[in-house]
Amino acid sequence: MSKELIRLSDCVMAYDDDVVLDHIDLSIRDKEFLTLLGPSGCGKTTTLRIIGGFLTPTSGDVLFDGKRINDVPPHKRMVNTVFQRYALFPHLNVFENVAFGLRMGQTVVEQESGQEVRRKVKIPEQEIRSRVMEMLEIVNLKGFERRPITALSGGQQQRVAIARALVNRPKVLLLDEPLGALDMRLRKDMQQELKRIQQEMEITFIYVTHDQEEALAMSDTVVVMDGGRIQQVGTPEDIYNEPKNAFVADFIGESNIIDGIMRADGVVEIFNRRFQCLDKGFDKDEPVDVVIRPEDVDIVSEAEGQLKGTVTSVTFKGVHYDTIVDFYGFKWLIQTTDFCPVDSHIGIKIDPDGIHVMKKSQYSGMFGDYSSYSEEYDEINDPTLLDEEEEGADDEE
Amino acid sequence: MRRRSGIGGRLGIGLVFLFLYLPIILLIVFSFNAGDSSAVWQGFSLQWYQSLFHNRLVMESVATTLLVSLLATAISTAAGTFAAIGIYSLTRKWRDPILTVNNIPMMNADIVTGVSLCLFFVAFFNGWRGFAEWVNSVQSVVALPERLHLGMVTLVLAHVCFNIPYVILNVAPRLRQMDKNLVDAAQDLGCTWMQAFFKVILPEIKPGIVSGALIAFTMSVDDFVISYFTAGSSTQTLAMAIYGMTKKRVTPVVNAVSTLMFLAVLVILIINNIREMQQEKMAEKRASFEPVKPNPFIESVREKLATPGGKWFKRVVAAALCVVFVVSVGLLAAFTGSQPVVNVCSWGEYIDEDLITEFEEKYGIRVNYQTAESNEAMYSLIKNGGADYDVIVPSDYMISQLIEEGMLEELDYSQIPNFELIDQRFRNLPYDPENKYTVPYTWGTVGIIYNTTMVDGEIDSWSCLYDDEYAGQVLLINNSRDALGIALKYLGYSMNTTDESQIREAYQLIEDAARRGVFQGKVMDEVFQTMEGGNAAIATYYAGDYLTMLENNEDLAFVVPKEGSNWFVDAMCVLKEAPHYDNAMKWINFIASTDANLRNMDYIWYASPNREALEQYPAWYEEQYGEELDPEIYEIMAAPDEVLDRCEMYVCLPQETRTLYNDLWIRLGT
Amino acid sequence: MKNKRSLFAVPYVIWMALFVVIPIVIMLVYSLTVTVTSEAGEALQFSLENFTGMGLYVSVFARSFWLAIVATVVCLVIGYPVSYWMAKEGPGFQRVAMALIMLPMWMNFLLRTYSWMSILENNGLLNQLFQKIGLIALYNSVTGQNIEYFQMIRTPGAVVLGMVYNYLPFMILPIYSVLSKMDQSLIEAAQDLGAGTADVFRRVTLPLSLPGVLSGVTMVFVPSVSTFAISRLLGGGTNMMLGDLIENQFLGGAYNPHLGAAISMVMMVIVVVCMLVMNHFGEGEEQAVML
Repeated sequence: MSKELIRLSDCVMAYDDDVVLDHIDLSIRDKEFLTLLGPSGCGKTTTLRIIGGFLTPTSGDVLFDGKRINDVPPHKRMVNTVFQRYALFPHLNVFENVAFGLRMGQTVVEQESGQEVRRKVKIPEQEIRSRVMEMLEIVNLKGFERRPITALSGGQQQRVAIARALVNRPKVLLLDEPLGALDMRLRKDMQQELKRIQQEMEITFIYVTHDQEEALAMSDTVVVMDGGRIQQVGTPEDIYNEPKNAFVADFIGESNIIDGIMRADGVVEIFNRRFQCLDKGFDKDEPVDVVIRPEDVDIVSEAEGQLKGTVTSVTFKGVHYDTIVDFYGFKWLIQTTDFCPVDSHIGIKIDPDGIHVMKKSQYSGMFGDYSSYSEEYDEINDPTLLDEEEEGADDEE
Repeated sequence: MRRRSGIGGRLGIGLVFLFLYLPIILLIVFSFNAGDSSAVWQGFSLQWYQSLFHNRLVMESVATTLLVSLLATAISTAAGTFAAIGIYSLTRKWRDPILTVNNIPMMNADIVTGVSLCLFFVAFFNGWRGFAEWVNSVQSVVALPERLHLGMVTLVLAHVCFNIPYVILNVAPRLRQMDKNLVDAAQDLGCTWMQAFFKVILPEIKPGIVSGALIAFTMSVDDFVISYFTAGSSTQTLAMAIYGMTKKRVTPVVNAVSTLMFLAVLVILIINNIREMQQEKMAEKRASFEPVKPNPFIESVREKLATPGGKWFKRVVAAALCVVFVVSVGLLAAFTGSQPVVNVCSWGEYIDEDLITEFEEKYGIRVNYQTAESNEAMYSLIKNGGADYDVIVPSDYMISQLIEEGMLEELDYSQIPNFELIDQRFRNLPYDPENKYTVPYTWGTVGIIYNTTMVDGEIDSWSCLYDDEYAGQVLLINNSRDALGIALKYLGYSMNTTDESQIREAYQLIEDAARRGVFQGKVMDEVFQTMEGGNAAIATYYAGDYLTMLENNEDLAFVVPKEGSNWFVDAMCVLKEAPHYDNAMKWINFIASTDANLRNMDYIWYASPNREALEQYPAWYEEQYGEELDPEIYEIMAAPDEVLDRCEMYVCLPQETRTLYNDLWIRLGT
Repeated sequence: MKNKRSLFAVPYVIWMALFVVIPIVIMLVYSLTVTVTSEAGEALQFSLENFTGMGLYVSVFARSFWLAIVATVVCLVIGYPVSYWMAKEGPGFQRVAMALIMLPMWMNFLLRTYSWMSILENNGLLNQLFQKIGLIALYNSVTGQNIEYFQMIRTPGAVVLGMVYNYLPFMILPIYSVLSKMDQSLIEAAQDLGAGTADVFRRVTLPLSLPGVLSGVTMVFVPSVSTFAISRLLGGGTNMMLGDLIENQFLGGAYNPHLGAAISMVMMVIVVVCMLVMNHFGEGEEQAVML
């Protein structure tokens, strides 16, 4: 495990009464690909900007290699940023954009009479040229050196922005939702490219996105944030399989979240039925949130099932069917390759490792019920329901 | 993230503002001057503000200025905006040349634009006259006016002409920045083109329109030269009035007017700013979902106006206002058009204004009183055909030139009985030997004004202007005729000589003195400020003006040197083909009366040619002011015969001599 | 739709043809003719003497252009930092500052120049202040001279001051306009790439503000060349400029509109050439950014 490179220690960011970051503690390791994941307004971009030096936290410390850098301006930090809207210099062509950082010179750390001294050393033109060309080749923009920025497509601009940041060989690269403006295919390609570059160049990537698929695909570590707080830190598998609370469970992938009671270690009760599970460490009879992923549910005959329910809608998704099943008034999403017609009565079986128990949190009860989800499906299948709903909606207002 | 600029930045901005406002503050301060100088403080007084509202000329010019500028701004903003939109949807091939031509008025010197527009209008009028005469002779259903002249219409057109480029230049960049898809989006959502224009394009380019309108208005208010050449005889803007005063002197009454205008604009800006700040606060509150507590009364009014009935109400009110405006303008035009008028052009601060009102009441004739900056300016305008004055009051040499070029109408002296009161000395003068064209208005002498504290002993000769004794303290009069004339006189030649060698000798005298640094500078009406402030020791100017300066600086003295000097007469005459000949006669007769002369003498401090007035003035003065008129002062004002005997009057010089004067003068200036 | 919109341009083109082109043509005609007085009256006769005789005035041309350049440079040196600082302030301050910068132009031009006269005069405001605070005495003791006042008025410097005073707002506004709309993320990107304050300014802010600078330079230089009253009032009449020269032809002793027209034609051509050269560095209409 590599050493810790960056640490945010109890950082708070507040604008008057508006608290954007609420006591953030974060540790980022050298050479890892870490993603800040969360919905809009959760504070992930703010965190990124604090690391980049464009914001100073209201309180708390930012440590780089053990040293406090709160007051170090951006141009002195060994960090480069790929901006959300690229921020390419319109008055320079591709070559000059990429070469910009190199022309600023290189910071050289020397020992002078026992003290560490930093000096800016000019990089010779030859070297600049070779490094820029090398980088352009890496991002597949060879031949574009003289193009003006305004003549590039979105994807090309994106790659120039990445090249511009990487050519400086920073220790840390910050990326602020860089792939947001690209189409699906290009986005997938770029995700792979970025991952490859990160591993080859052994740079720490701090990546900000609201797309959980992207986060799961690229990251070594995922930090899930909401409301200015870190909800969970872990590997993609950990986050996915063992979410800490209902928010994380719902944000990552699809999940059914049900009220339950922990009867004993390894035993949880939902809908008055007891299920085996793998979780321990809860108090006896503690109320808990139970997460069951749609793909972990087996459909069996009514007689064999641990729970019985009625199918309310089925949608063909190609890989599987999205089946909404009503259990005792609670709607579940089940993804299965078995086709069960609407209104059929089915039973389900869940393996112990398909159940995950979480402590109750402020998020309990907010997610996991697929009622509204299923309503949408019903409407799509039966247009008459649509009109009824609208009329009802008007009455409510 | 924008960081507040530090102390250095604030200090820098503050210094620049200080620089920008220092003269403005000074102007405002001097509007409260008890004296009539713009440079010498005599104490605090509100007299200029009080007199402002009685000063009909200034008030009228302010009204005209506001009207013309607002109108021109409105028209040019609307026209410019549409033009900009049109230009921007053309291809580059057309767009660039049009924009280049668009910039030409800005590049040209104002005077060139002014004169060329004047010539253009006059040519148009001449052409129109022919056309109208033909039409009127062919049919009798519609009677076209045959004689058009410069006036409000041409003035507004001229202002629009130089305003539109600024509007276009301000709207254009906004158009460029605007997202082209916006209009398509609006139309996609069901707007007609007109609606799309008002709802989408207009708000996007609004900042450009507003800034263009502001600049257009500012340029319009401040313009002088173009207005002078295109305004005609019945309209005068404030800038024209101010420049007209420079012939004599600029009194703080213009400071008062300017201060008021300045304050008015300041107040409008403050109100606007407060309103914008409040709007921003409201928008912020709404964005953060705080409850907005609206004023219930305003809200209820707003609600009522938003209903369909309310919308009609708004439209009706707007229409009614338009109708009222148009009708009142029309009435005003008709009223003034049907009233008998007389058009007079004179100099600034050259008449007791109560006389104008008296004349109007007595005869029921409206007086359009305008002022010009100099004899040459007046001549230029007349020559271009842009003047349709009835009565003008030029100086002697200019009169003789006008007579020579056949530009004056003979007077009907049977309608001017008061001419008999003119002293014999002032009849049949060299510029009008048979006295067919003129009635004298004022007269005076040119002499040396000097500051007794800065000079040793008494001055009695022109030599002080050319020798080194007071080098650097001498002001040269900035007028080729006067400067060369004085030098000629000093050398013993006639002021009207056409002998080139004599003229060159006189020029050499001045040039040598200039090279040796004798002269501090060349001045005309700046001489008031300079001498009153004690900034120079010696100057050359007119007797009456000396008396004005004396009020502000008691150290000044006046002398008509022993070598002799120039004495001048300003006289009233009538332009050829003046539109209101009989009214002109009445005016001239009225002004030639003794009472009018007495009052003018008192106001201008120049001597009157009226025999009775000359005799009666000291007594009249004592009656008015309760103190005796200093005989020395009176002697300076109305020079006695011994002085006049050594003075010469100018006559018009032939073209070659005039050109010689001009060339020499330019050489001096380079 | 584009075609329809371009129709808007048509009335304006007609207007320009009438009110801009024709008067220019009139001026051109005047510059190429002289007035010949004969028995039949006055007539215009073709002649090039107006242009050939212009060699007399080379010094006036040179001085006008030189002083205009100086005034433009001074405006730039003062105006750019002011715009820069203003663009960094909050929106309320910016609004107020902009309005305050335009406001002095509402006072009549002549009055403002008179005001400067009384400030700069030998016995005027500044000199009296200097005397009172002992600056003049200090100067005398340091340089060994014995002056009573600093000669400020009736110098070329005073003329430049007058021009700067009148045209400074025209330099500030376009530069400020461009700077305030600059994309902040570009500044951050530059900082991110290692550029300190000086580098950010030199490599990003300055190049991107060039359209505003060009616009400001245009709007100061062009009127400065043809300015007239300023040199008369503040320059003491000894530094004749083109504006005065032209005015002299129309309003001076010898009425010679032909020469006046010729001089202004030449002036216009030189200015157009200067503008074209500058446009080469700019981007066409982008320059004309005011507010």
